Amino acid sequence: MAIGVKVLKRPEREASYVRATLKGMALTFRHMFEPKVTMQYPEEKSTRDERGTWTLSPRWRGTHRMLTDEQGRSKCVACGLCPQICPANCIKLVPGEDEEGNRYPLIYEIDEFRCIFCGYCQEVCPEEAIHVGQHYENSEYTRGRFVYDLERLSAQTHAVSTLWDPSDPRGE
Amino acid sequence: MAEDLVTVTIEGTQIAVPKGTTIIEAAKQAGVLVPHYCYHPSLPSPAVCRMCLVEVEKAPKLMPACVTTVAEGQVVHVNSDGARKARQGVLEFLLINHPLDCPICDQAGECELQDYTFQEGRAGTRYSKDAKRYNPVEDFGPDILYVANRCILCTRCVRFMDDVAQTPVLNVSERGDRAFIGIDEDQLLDHPWSGNVVDLCPVGSLLSKDFLHKARAWDLDKAASVCPGCSQGCNISIDTRDDVVVRLRPRPNLDVNRHFMCDYGRMDYRWLNRGDRVEAPLLREGQRLHAADWDTALDRFGQLLRDAAGSAVILASGRMSTESLGLVRSLVDRLDVTAAVRVPLGEEAPLAGIPHLALRRERTPNADGARLVGYGTDWSAALAAVPRAGIVIVLDAALSAEDVAVLQSARAPVVVLGTVADDWLRLASLVLPVTSMAEENGTYVNRDGRLQRYQQARSQPGMARPAWWVAGEVLGGPGPDADAPATAAEAFDLLARRYDAFAGLSHGDLGFSGRVLAGAGATASGSAGGTR
Repeated sequence: MAIGVKVLKRPEREASYVRATLKGMALTFRHMFEPKVTMQYPEEKSTRDERGTWTLSPRWRGTHRMLTDEQGRSKCVACGLCPQICPANCIKLVPGEDEEGNRYPLIYEIDEFRCIFCGYCQEVCPEEAIHVGQHYENSEYTRGRFVYDLERLSAQTHAVSTLWDPSDPRGE
Repeated sequence: MAEDLVTVTIEGTQIAVPKGTTIIEAAKQAGVLVPHYCYHPSLPSPAVCRMCLVEVEKAPKLMPACVTTVAEGQVVHVNSDGARKARQGVLEFLLINHPLDCPICDQAGECELQDYTFQEGRAGTRYSKDAKRYNPVEDFGPDILYVANRCILCTRCVRFMDDVAQTPVLNVSERGDRAFIGIDEDQLLDHPWSGNVVDLCPVGSLLSKDFLHKARAWDLDKAASVCPGCSQGCNISIDTRDDVVVRLRPRPNLDVNRHFMCDYGRMDYRWLNRGDRVEAPLLREGQRLHAADWDTALDRFGQLLRDAAGSAVILASGRMSTESLGLVRSLVDRLDVTAAVRVPLGEEAPLAGIPHLALRRERTPNADGARLVGYGTDWSAALAAVPRAGIVIVLDAALSAEDVAVLQSARAPVVVLGTVADDWLRLASLVLPVTSMAEENGTYVNRDGRLQRYQQARSQPGMARPAWWVAGEVLGGPGPDADAPATAAEAFDLLARRYDAFAGLSHGDLGFSGRVLAGAGATASGSAGGTR
């Protein structure tokens, strides 16, 4: 059974590509005179010029950072509140005692894969030791490298999150 | 007797209590907790903390609930504005010098100061401009640290040492806001029961060095158990963190240990965490032991038992549950049995203020349960019977080098139901992994004939099963047996059918405080129990 194919004759002005191409070229050409808005990401990390303002929010919750005291030791006293509050159960903490009898974490590990970046650990910390940080470039070569130990957390230098302040809900 | 009962109203609840009861105890019965620090049911009450002040109608001022006895028609308000205000005042004073170091304090999470402050204390302080008093941490004894800064001077520890241990080494030194708990200069807090002051301390002032920084209170899982240290059978709670036993604490049982346990028992928990455990059944094939599954191992055990002739020897540990001891003994009933538990001996250490409470000489928890199911305590006699025996069963007994030498001389097959993978296991024809007391449910019988349950605190290692399960499966014969006990309660029912001493009892009857067996005094001296 033959299939009846109906061949339509398209109007001349629609069948030609010349018109459409020129239209597109005109658009491209017009954009050359308009203000540029593209941020050149790996080279540029934020913009604050005629292209507009794009910066990471101070409340951005990225991978963690452990703050240290003047002697370079972590401020953590291994109180156990962050593993308790952590909804993703991604913090491992084993407390111990140093030579001076101070409580400190023998093992402190955060599994950044399991972390949901809620920031509760920072909020609950009574010593202001653990923080979520303004950091988002986290690629690694192995999965194991995403478990950050105390040394690695303490070595981070990026800015820390300010979290959400209930008295200033809009961050102003 | 009606004339001895007094009817009082506490927080709107009418309750009849015996004459002479204190308000705090009456309130407890009415389901109302009166906040308190210095009061403890096992200690005399000095009413020094003023935390338990309650409003009693028609009384001119607030009354301390811990020393005021109830009177007919009394109406008590625990949560009235006046009482609340008084407690808030007490808390504010206590917190003037109390450091804000809950994050590093071991007591955090089970601290009464923390709890009550959270419940009804002031949100802020009015003393922030003043520096807090500071005293260094003191070392009180082998296991106890005193953090003076955290002390609220309830004097429970002083009263425990004075009135219960009757070794007065602690005192309240200095006065007023400089007061602290002092210890006699040339003395140490090394009484065999001194560890109780750590439990008694309502705050984190007295700390156990052993438990220091090990776990947070909210990390711990607790299981009601019985101390495996001696034949006293103190009720304890086994506290585990991530399946590791981190401390033992006394569990109140007014008939046995009140609120206390000795330091020997408290520290004797590390063997529960041993890593060198037998984790699979091991079968002898020629010169070597091979791991096998339970079906094969149980079949082999049954075969060895059927082949055995003449006499049988059971060398058992007194830490085995009554169920395990009884059912393993039942396996060899048709033979001439010599069964013994080893009873290590030590020094007796009584707690002077509590009658019938001591760390006993017999350092094994279930020697009396073993007696009731036909075990003796004559270890050397049992060893002497080993060379002539038709089968030797070692039920988790710890063997010395001499014992192993005797075992080597055995002609009969040696079956070991063991927990620890010792070297001498290579002598065995069959090794079956069993659980320790922290990994199973079961019962112990203490020296007063009190049958008490203990509950599982951690998971069993590998393929280990309770010894009563092994015995129950073998008793049922080869192949699947629907009647073999699957729980400790069923194992106990089977035991009660086989041994007169437990007839008519079940796990359900025991509750959390145990039950004294009928005729306990008579059977305690007998060597072999009646086997039906």
